[in-house]
Amino acid sequence: MSGPRRLANGGLIDRTKTIRFSFDGNPLQGFGGDTLASALMANGVRLVGRSFKYHRPRGIFSAGPEEPNALVELRSGARREPNTKATTVELFDGLEATSQNRWPSLAFDIHAINQLAGPLLVTGFYYKTFMWPAAFWEKIYEPAIRRAAGLGRLSGEADPDTYEKAYAFCDLLVIGAGPAGLAAALTAGRTGARVILAEDDFVLGGRLNSETHEIDGAPGTIWAKRVEEELETLPNVRVMRRMSVFGTYDGEYGAVERVADHVPVPPAFTPRQRLWKIVARETILAMGAVERGIVFGGNDTPGVMLASAMRTYVNRFAAAPGRHIAVFTASDYGWRTALDLAKAGVTVACVVDTRTKVAPEVVALAGDAPVFLGGRVTDARGGRALKSIAVLDATGNRRTIAVDALAVSGGFNPDIALSTHLGSKPAWSEPKAAFLAAQLPDGMAVAGAAAGHWTLAEALHDGTVLGADAAARGGRRPQGMLRYRTSDEHYAVNAFWHVAESRKKAFVDLQNDVTDKDVALAAREGFRSVEHLKRYTTLGMATDQGKTSNVSGLAIMAELTGRTIVQTGVTRARPPHVPVAIAAFAGLHTGRHFKPTRLTSGHGWAAAQGATFVDAGPWLRAQWFAQAGETDWLQSVTREVRTVRSGSGFCDVSTLGKIALMGPDVGALLDRIYINTFSTLAVGRVRYGVMLREDGFVMDDGTTARLGPDHWVMSTTTANAGKVMQHLAFCHQVLWPELDVQMVSVTEQWAQYAVAGPRSRELLQRLLGDAADLSNAAFPYLACAEFRLGQIPARLFRISFSGELAYEIAVPAGYGGALARRLADAGREFGATPYGTEALSVMRIEKGHVAGNELNGQTVAGDLGLGRMMSTKKDFVGRLMAARPALVDPQRPSLVGLKPVQSGDRLRAGAHFMARGVAPAPETDQGYMTSTAFSPTLGHWIGLGLLARGAQRIGELIRAYDPVRSGDVEVEVVSPVFVDPAGVRVRA
Amino acid sequence: MRDLVHESAFAGLRAAGAGDGVVAVERVGLAIATVIQRRVQSRELSATVTANFAIDLPAGAEWTANNGVAWLGTGPGKWLALSEARETEFVGKLKTKLGEFASVVEQSDGLGVLRLTGPALFRTLEKGVQLDLAPGAFPTGSVAVTSIAHIGVTLWKVDDQPTVDVAVARSLCNSFLHWLEASAAPYGLTALGEQG
Repeated sequence: MSGPRRLANGGLIDRTKTIRFSFDGNPLQGFGGDTLASALMANGVRLVGRSFKYHRPRGIFSAGPEEPNALVELRSGARREPNTKATTVELFDGLEATSQNRWPSLAFDIHAINQLAGPLLVTGFYYKTFMWPAAFWEKIYEPAIRRAAGLGRLSGEADPDTYEKAYAFCDLLVIGAGPAGLAAALTAGRTGARVILAEDDFVLGGRLNSETHEIDGAPGTIWAKRVEEELETLPNVRVMRRMSVFGTYDGEYGAVERVADHVPVPPAFTPRQRLWKIVARETILAMGAVERGIVFGGNDTPGVMLASAMRTYVNRFAAAPGRHIAVFTASDYGWRTALDLAKAGVTVACVVDTRTKVAPEVVALAGDAPVFLGGRVTDARGGRALKSIAVLDATGNRRTIAVDALAVSGGFNPDIALSTHLGSKPAWSEPKAAFLAAQLPDGMAVAGAAAGHWTLAEALHDGTVLGADAAARGGRRPQGMLRYRTSDEHYAVNAFWHVAESRKKAFVDLQNDVTDKDVALAAREGFRSVEHLKRYTTLGMATDQGKTSNVSGLAIMAELTGRTIVQTGVTRARPPHVPVAIAAFAGLHTGRHFKPTRLTSGHGWAAAQGATFVDAGPWLRAQWFAQAGETDWLQSVTREVRTVRSGSGFCDVSTLGKIALMGPDVGALLDRIYINTFSTLAVGRVRYGVMLREDGFVMDDGTTARLGPDHWVMSTTTANAGKVMQHLAFCHQVLWPELDVQMVSVTEQWAQYAVAGPRSRELLQRLLGDAADLSNAAFPYLACAEFRLGQIPARLFRISFSGELAYEIAVPAGYGGALARRLADAGREFGATPYGTEALSVMRIEKGHVAGNELNGQTVAGDLGLGRMMSTKKDFVGRLMAARPALVDPQRPSLVGLKPVQSGDRLRAGAHFMARGVAPAPETDQGYMTSTAFSPTLGHWIGLGLLARGAQRIGELIRAYDPVRSGDVEVEVVSPVFVDPAGVRVRA
Repeated sequence: MRDLVHESAFAGLRAAGAGDGVVAVERVGLAIATVIQRRVQSRELSATVTANFAIDLPAGAEWTANNGVAWLGTGPGKWLALSEARETEFVGKLKTKLGEFASVVEQSDGLGVLRLTGPALFRTLEKGVQLDLAPGAFPTGSVAVTSIAHIGVTLWKVDDQPTVDVAVARSLCNSFLHWLEASAAPYGLTALGEQG
């Protein structure tokens, strides 16, 4: 035995496999095939949690994902997982479960005192109570409410498990492996159609496992097993257990597979969960129906349970929910529950049916138990465990009946949320007393109980017909139609929601502690729309999404407002249908794998040199190379700059975008892309260019080299490489398809290094030997060439970002690391240093070159001192829009250099400019500092900035005001070119 | 400079997990070129390719090969040409032969190419490829320009064993390997030595 309430026989459990687990530290035992809920029930555990608001004692209410009450914390340490439904947790050896939302213990919870304040804690309490004084909200009210609210606790540690994503395709997706789903999958699967059968549970069969039907003379569970075995043999059918389809999207479905939730720790390399995107040509929704309760006093007492859940616990898990059980029903289903209970050896204390007329053969199911037709259970009593119920019979007499459990059946809600995720609303069916799917998404059909076809015969028929239809539409006609013989049952229901005669607190939504009085209050206060009702009372929110409560809530609202259910309507269901861990959506993309990282081919070499790396778009770039004894980044960067300016250095610039442009019309295209002319560029030459967006603002800058008559290479900034490629492709494909131009990115093909400094020519010449003549005459400033280093093709460009004599050398990327090593080796003689993006940035600021801080999408060419590059002899993208008055306004901020009046002052990017002696205010703002650097060359901080009428204000003293970092520095407006303004060095 | 050592794009390929559910080998030494047809030159280009390489240039997302040179359709008027022969002049020769009708751009170092096979190949690929790779939907000879784990890839079905080749931009090969290792390790990822 695995507990006092385990039945001696029956069930789909493996009694040879004992499983040890604990609940709130108490060691317990269950069997293979148990859920945590069934094992707790078999052990006689009644109290499993405390409610959200009033901290009322709660037990197990259902046997599936609709569970509102039995939420527990699973596992411990970093794997602790709150708000897990005990009814869906597959028991495993060593499972640790803990109750939540209680202190100091589950049996004695101090916060249960909230119940005394119940009249205060009604709907809207927070909105009404914590309004004044407003200043209290952030510091006092909200923290206090947050402490009191919420259920489980997160571990606060990083999740040690992994998650992954996967994508599947099929002709037919069958959601739910109950009788309808199994019949559909089998019928379609036998035709050879590609079928995915997704089942939330860890066993197939659905309600066949919970009830006692026969199919073709065999128990339903045997039939399900046989179908399962056949499906497993079909290569075109994929049976996926522990798989919850949670959302319907355009042409695809989201699902989460609990790969290793049923083991203590996932095996090596196994993810905890896998998120699926399923593209299905057709879908059969066969998720069955969820039973709804009845709203009456004390209906949340542990021991009050859905009738369908009782059948599941008795028939599937051989666990008795009680010894003396009453049934309270509005349908025939409750009577069958009574029969199953009696068969299991449980005493049926009574059957109370709200209906006055019930078929005699149905009444006979109750056997000798007292029967109350036209009766009601008005109240359940017992506190932490049900002790008795108050019954009001058809004649108005009240009596108390001692019971330890009560099965409640208020009818069934078809589980059709997945059919409404694309926007349609379900329609109320009076004969079925249920909402049914109305407009179905393309390719979706609904089968069995989900379609309101309650009986087993109907479910099997639906599945067979719809499965065959789906296969036939895919061109696969089944050979003959399967027919099943079933032992079936009559089903009748009268909608019944609410016992008006109750005296105790009656709950509509058990998870959110929403009572019938809360719904009435919402109605009185005008929140009568179902969407308002939901938001005002929280009815139907949280982990169960009101699967057992929504319809009752809106039905009560309908009664209160004198409307029909059709007039009242229903809230819209949105994905996810069941909670999905955020980790599953992230998949492998966590931590440093959040997004792919691009590494240059010289990355390994740079890392070995101790480089510090920085994210530059998707790339990692070396930021600086600290040497022994350097303790501060500024020390390293200052050394790198001084070394380059006095000798030489090299820098990996492979990340800059490189676009090969080929064809006879490249020049014409570039003339229209760039503001300056390129068609006149000679072969073997490079030109700097600026391109605008259509709206006239600067998009990007860079150089383009002409390597041959119809072979050009454009260089873009690292950040804009993709955008520029897209822009070029758009212009070519949409605007000027007549141009004979071919383009492709070659960023990945070439590793490229800048070699800069007065000794860079010597360094490179040493490397290249006689492969290239680098003399000024042979290879002047802005020259380019292709040549070979032995068998290796190479490219050389004489361009400079630093303002020094400089080159960029490119080799096929596979040689990038080797080139870096060789530059370092050859450079030793010249004292050359590798330098990173910081030194690169310092030198470009010293030289007054604009970069991302200035090319910020708000500047036009004129702002950057590049206005004269705008050709007046041709048209180009952005020309007209750049001529708008605001963009040519002489008052516009334009590029200037700044240096501190007190040479020791530090400048900070972001500081705002204003005239001296003026109070800082938005009206007196004259621009801001875009880039700053400590200039090793000048020995003080320098800056670039955008200053109103900047070009005319050289020599003026202004303030750089930075209230965020307490900076208020007097600066002098100077030329943005701090180093070698005549440009002698680059031409050296 | 003549003795610069070449490093292949997938030099970081390692085995992961136990078993050989997926067997990966880098196709090193391939000469690769992007071939883009010049405006209104499709007929001439096709004829020239047929004359020089004895194949019909694929018109869609398919590949064809002859004499160690494979042609993959990667977009309208756009192909990847791959040569298995370790000839450094392949791209140059291609330019010479096709230059009138197509632009030929060297990409041999821009792409890493992995050959993947093994019994768990599709169970692994379905964790990254958002396309239907079932034999009926993606038969041998198919090419897809798509993405895996946010990384752009070109993949093509080599044979029914099944074998799939995947081309990845060089800078992203390490990130790709993270995906491959994590996805294939449950079935065992075996890394074989280089293959030309």
